[in-house]
Amino acid sequence: MRDYTARELRESFAFLMPLILFVLVFILIPVIGTVTASFFRDIGFMEKRFIFLENYKHLFHDAGFWQALRFTVLFMLVSVPLEIVLGLLFAVLLNESFPLRGWLRACVLIPWAIPSAISARIWELVYNYNYGLANYLLSKMGVSDQPINWLGSGAGAFFSIVISDAWKTAPFVAIILLAGLQAIPEELYAQARIDRTNFAQRFLRITLPLLKPVLIVAFLFRTIDALRIFDLVYVLTRGGPGGATTSFSMYGYKYFLAGDFGYGSCVSVALFVVALALSMFYARLGRWSTKTI
Amino acid sequence: MNSSSEQGDPTIKRLIFILGVACLALFILAGCARKKREGVLTFSVGGAPKEVEFWETLVGDFARESGIKAEILRQPTDTDQRRQGLVISLKAGKNDPDVFLMDVAWIAQFAASGWLEPIDEYATQDNYKKDVFFSRVVELADRFDGKTIALPVYVDGGLLYYRKDLLERFGFKRAPETWEELVEYSLKIQEEIRQINPDFYGFVWQGAQYEGLVCNFVEFAGSNGGGIILNGEKIEVDTPQNVEAVQFMCDLMNKYKISPPSTFTEMKEEEVRSFFELGNALFERNWPYAWLLHASMDSAVKDKVGIAPLPHFSSGRSVSALGGWHIGISRYSDAKKSSWEFVKFVTSFEIQKRLALNLGWNPGRKDVYIDSEVLKKMPHLENLRDVFENALPRPNLPYYTQVSEVLQRYLNAALAGELSPEPALMKAEEEIRKLIERYI
Repeated sequence: MRDYTARELRESFAFLMPLILFVLVFILIPVIGTVTASFFRDIGFMEKRFIFLENYKHLFHDAGFWQALRFTVLFMLVSVPLEIVLGLLFAVLLNESFPLRGWLRACVLIPWAIPSAISARIWELVYNYNYGLANYLLSKMGVSDQPINWLGSGAGAFFSIVISDAWKTAPFVAIILLAGLQAIPEELYAQARIDRTNFAQRFLRITLPLLKPVLIVAFLFRTIDALRIFDLVYVLTRGGPGGATTSFSMYGYKYFLAGDFGYGSCVSVALFVVALALSMFYARLGRWSTKTI
Repeated sequence: MNSSSEQGDPTIKRLIFILGVACLALFILAGCARKKREGVLTFSVGGAPKEVEFWETLVGDFARESGIKAEILRQPTDTDQRRQGLVISLKAGKNDPDVFLMDVAWIAQFAASGWLEPIDEYATQDNYKKDVFFSRVVELADRFDGKTIALPVYVDGGLLYYRKDLLERFGFKRAPETWEELVEYSLKIQEEIRQINPDFYGFVWQGAQYEGLVCNFVEFAGSNGGGIILNGEKIEVDTPQNVEAVQFMCDLMNKYKISPPSTFTEMKEEEVRSFFELGNALFERNWPYAWLLHASMDSAVKDKVGIAPLPHFSSGRSVSALGGWHIGISRYSDAKKSSWEFVKFVTSFEIQKRLALNLGWNPGRKDVYIDSEVLKKMPHLENLRDVFENALPRPNLPYYTQVSEVLQRYLNAALAGELSPEPALMKAEEEIRKLIERYI
């Protein structure tokens, strides 16, 4: 700080102002507002009252909440590694030179570019029991003569949602990882080839370690997004069957819809806490990984 | 290392200044845009595109006839999304929309939240007669705390659609009156038809996890003497009649196999309607709106469809869940008198008749049902009058939608085979009890 003139400080502050304002207005104030709202009983048809932690007490005993938590966390644990692995695969492939590489890179982005509600609709048709593409292909390939009710069981619906989500977001991971891959100096690989290493050794000893910071970022993004999943679940299963695929966001949404803003805010705060804890965990992980390099 | 001048680069400073002013101007303009709405009646309505288009015409006619400027705030088709939009505006106490349509299921929530303007005084002032409407509907759905807060625009009740050509072909003289008969007819006809159309099913109904499932449940259970029972401050659903009804709903898919396995994953109104309309089902449970669509030019079942009241269990009687949309005035409206004029307009005989003829809706006014022109286009309306007089509403509680949410989950779990009917209803009742504790 001592190296800057007063004028420079003032100018830099002016440049930072928009961002600070943005964070304040769109992030800090709403979060504080939501936390405050969760301490009240605020339902349309009852008088607003400060009840402090009573909403949270109810949340603790709320079977629907725990079901939503279980589903959301499980979904995150399954889909995020899957997307990272797929994204890494695409990124490594797209990093090699081959004809039409640029065109393929653009194509790979298409699933991610389609608005999620629309792609959810498409997947709804694919998983449709009677005339869906999935069952059609299965019957054509002779795998099973009985159509599968993809969305008809807790497990089936879960994996259907995982697959749809992976299809949509693996490209996003791929692009992020591709940028990271391109930052790795080519000389390292050239050197390694001279030393007669094979692809696996080069991948594990050069690529992965140098990719760690970008991988952490990708993990963080995907984890937070997976926790917030809403559109896919809403369109594909509406949270069914029997509430088995109700995500956190969807659970809170239902309370806001009913005008129960106090309890809905409580659910939102719970999600916020979980997401915050995970972010801090990843940040710690990131710091640790750069130290080892 | 850096050698910035004492003043800083003048071009950049100018750029930032211009940007700041532009942003400010934008905000002011955005704020001004709101002001123009004062003095204009805003009407919030959603639905299928065709319906909303028709409302645009109606609002135009209203503006011309009454001289009041009016405009529509378009909403999506889905009932939950329509409610979402309204809840946001009403909770914030905004002036717009002034008047809007509400699903009968959430009128109680709006009324108890104090968002609706009572219309009794306006009605007495204008000598407006409320007895032209279905009295039971008005009494059960449109009144709260001794005041009238809404009026029916159209009413709905669950009905049984059937393929009269197939019943005739196989020697059945009339539509089934009991569920046993329905199963019997379905099994026999399904066996025959499956030989040419393997995707044919006997009975399609709404079993996905949403409000429609509760409507179907209320009909099955109600026809067995059960249903959602309000006992003082308790809500009971774990009764033997209900267990039997839910077991029957599961049996339709698993034991008799006359309903498709996708019933509990995707079957909502439109899915059921198109399934039947493609000729793949013998019986359909749906709302009256499907009638006009089944009779349209490109329907595969044109002229082959009959309507009847829903069947019942042998010891009960036929029950139809009451649906429909009602019109209400916002308590925060800045144009209440104009809104009342609009309400009178929409519930007038002429407009109700036009709604019936153009959209196939069942008017809230009883006198439209005996009009010859209407009867010619929709002959079944004659029978429907009785159905609507006796339709069973869902509980008129402010927190009904949350109760329904719990019920939907457990009913769907039972249909999916994840829980047996008895434990499902027991758990539902338990969770509802815990839910209500917060609202008392």
